[in-house]
Amino acid sequence: MSGVSFRIAGKEILRGVSLDVDVARLGVVGRNGSGKSTLARLVAGLVAPSEGRVRVNGKELAADRRAALSEVGILFQNPDHQIIFPSVLEEVAFGLGQQGMGRREAEAEAREVLARFGKAHWEEAAVAGLSQGQKHLVCLMAVVAMEPKLLILDEPYAGLDIPTRRQLMRYLGRYEGALLHISHDPEDLAGYDHVIWLEMGGVAREGAAEAVLAAYRDEMERLGARDDISDLAG
Amino acid sequence: MISLTSPVRTWAHGWPAGLKLAGLCAATLVLFFIESVPAHLAIFGAVLGVYALPGRVFLATGMRRLRLLWPFILVVMLWHLWEGSVAQGVAICLRLLSAVALANLVTMTTRLTDMIAVIRWLAAPLRRVGLETRALELAVALTIRMTPVLAEKGELLSASWRARARRRAGWRILLPFTLLALDDADHVAEALKARGGLGN
Repeated sequence: MSGVSFRIAGKEILRGVSLDVDVARLGVVGRNGSGKSTLARLVAGLVAPSEGRVRVNGKELAADRRAALSEVGILFQNPDHQIIFPSVLEEVAFGLGQQGMGRREAEAEAREVLARFGKAHWEEAAVAGLSQGQKHLVCLMAVVAMEPKLLILDEPYAGLDIPTRRQLMRYLGRYEGALLHISHDPEDLAGYDHVIWLEMGGVAREGAAEAVLAAYRDEMERLGARDDISDLAG
Repeated sequence: MISLTSPVRTWAHGWPAGLKLAGLCAATLVLFFIESVPAHLAIFGAVLGVYALPGRVFLATGMRRLRLLWPFILVVMLWHLWEGSVAQGVAICLRLLSAVALANLVTMTTRLTDMIAVIRWLAAPLRRVGLETRALELAVALTIRMTPVLAEKGELLSASWRARARRRAGWRILLPFTLLALDDADHVAEALKARGGLGN
């Protein structure tokens, strides 16, 4: 990622961000509105930068959507925005069909993915009847089925209780590809290789996870004692 | 929760979707040619009998879905009472009930993928002249999937109105609800794009 800026209606969300990372577990922290989700969308190639270039494994995914399907997968905050089909098997098979598999082949493969997660019995389950945590897991399985080299997670634990969070964390920990995990909570990123700290659309700090997370935590505690919630965005 | 999936697995789940849809078409057509009230009563009774076959849970779920029809029944019956043609009104209502019950039966026992395959097959001539029908297929899936999601959002919106107001929200949440639905649509479109979208 070099010299990347991103603007929506003239408002600068990211400004001049340059990053070059090659690790298996990458974390991104920052406060609400710091540009974390925009960074995720740029890396996933869902939006193109206003300036600069974004490349994943040498490919510009915003232009090359076909390559994007095998390069990156993305999990959004709200599973109801992500799940297209009313039953679990159909949802998991959808992405495989998009990658060019025939219907039967996609369904067989989807069954295999469900079995690998120990969820073979979810096959016929109706999505509307699942709990929030279960919907998250369906999204995860649907993306993992496509075997992207990089999996992007945008606050995947938002609104989940501690046991559900821990269980999802365990499923994620097993993922063989690389992870780019966005969170405002440093606890989620413990044990990661590298962390990027975003602040107001720029990189405040990046480096080994432990040091960055410690500094981030201190700063967040310091800010927590103040009252910058009063400040309106210019 | 509004969703048209079956709580239990029935033997009809295994039937080909095309056959079920063709049967539904034929049955609905026949329903429109029958005028006699006793015949309609018998048909509706038979339809209820079919609902009862997979057991009580299935019957209860099916009936709950038919209850949505009461405003229509009310309007039709009032009109025919006023017109003095009660028998005709009863026939129309029974026809409506049987037709919707049968249609629900097909929806409840057919996987969406199979339904979409039928649409794809029906739309094959359109593809031959160069039209892309993938959007149509996905639209069907999204409609069925998003109905319960939007219904829940609507309830939340009206609850947050009531939490701070003395009266029910009624039509006044229509505009905020529309905006909310549009915002949701934006998110869904993005998620769809992330998994290949329509462009394949």
